[in-house]
Amino acid sequence: MHELSIAVNIIELAEEEMIRHGGRRVRAVHLQLGPLAAVARDALLFSFNLACEGTAAEGSQLVIEDGQGLDLDICRLEIEP
Amino acid sequence: MSSANAPLSSRMSPRIVTVRERVLKQNDLLARDLRARFQAAGVRVISLVSSPGAGKTSLLERTLAILGQKRRVAALVGDLATENDALRLQRSGAPVKQITTGTVCHLDASMISTAVSDWSLAALDVMFIENVGNLVCPSSYDLGEAVRVVLLSATEGEDKPLKYPTIFNTADVAVITKIDLAAAAEFDREAAHSNIQTVRPGMRVMEVSARTGAGMDAWIAFLQEHS
Repeated sequence: MHELSIAVNIIELAEEEMIRHGGRRVRAVHLQLGPLAAVARDALLFSFNLACEGTAAEGSQLVIEDGQGLDLDICRLEIEP
Repeated sequence: MSSANAPLSSRMSPRIVTVRERVLKQNDLLARDLRARFQAAGVRVISLVSSPGAGKTSLLERTLAILGQKRRVAALVGDLATENDALRLQRSGAPVKQITTGTVCHLDASMISTAVSDWSLAALDVMFIENVGNLVCPSSYDLGEAVRVVLLSATEGEDKPLKYPTIFNTADVAVITKIDLAAAAEFDREAAHSNIQTVRPGMRVMEVSARTGAGMDAWIAFLQEHS
């Protein structure tokens, strides 16, 4: 059950990227998740909803897309200016 | 410009930006630094992963006692709580440090970095890292080790590699422990070996018993090749 710490990492990276692109809120984070990443999809979604509270990503959606192998990468962000 | 208290629907539509960020980038970068530091100091770092109770600490106790006669050895050992494993390993006389993770189910590179911060790495030949007993989460975290060893005990069942393929995939070598109990546990050795090869073709596999010493020579020889 390391999905909560992974969710915290995702939100921190998303906030950094949001600031870099001049955004103020994160609406959605698109993640590529490979079958060998040892990360459970449902547990990650649950953890993300908890971890985003009080951050610029609060209320945002985590969209998990099928990746390959060990993929655990943020590929796209939807940000509000 | 949209005002902050305007309803969501009337705000500007979101902008989509393309990024390519590994979620564990921070850990991977730190692990890369650690690996470079270990290499520069001439210390070979070997990590052990397994489920709880597979015999990591027993194997390490015996290993520190034997290898410690020929090499300068040390160990870091991770658990959620207690110093029990460190106390067991310290009897070998080698420097040992316990990392207690609280509720965290794995070690990560920053924990290793902190743990070795007051150690003189150049004074060591081989450093072992005993991960938290867990066959899932440790597979995601690079610790900067040179060799990752996955343990499978004869009492656990020969299908563990099929059930937990990722950890076997991220490990370099597999060790079947408690081999002295194989008959009592009706452990199917051939099936275990074939299951390991199914998830990680070509993987080197050793069989040991820390209790009887069976297979320890080959294990120690392997460690010496790598140190």
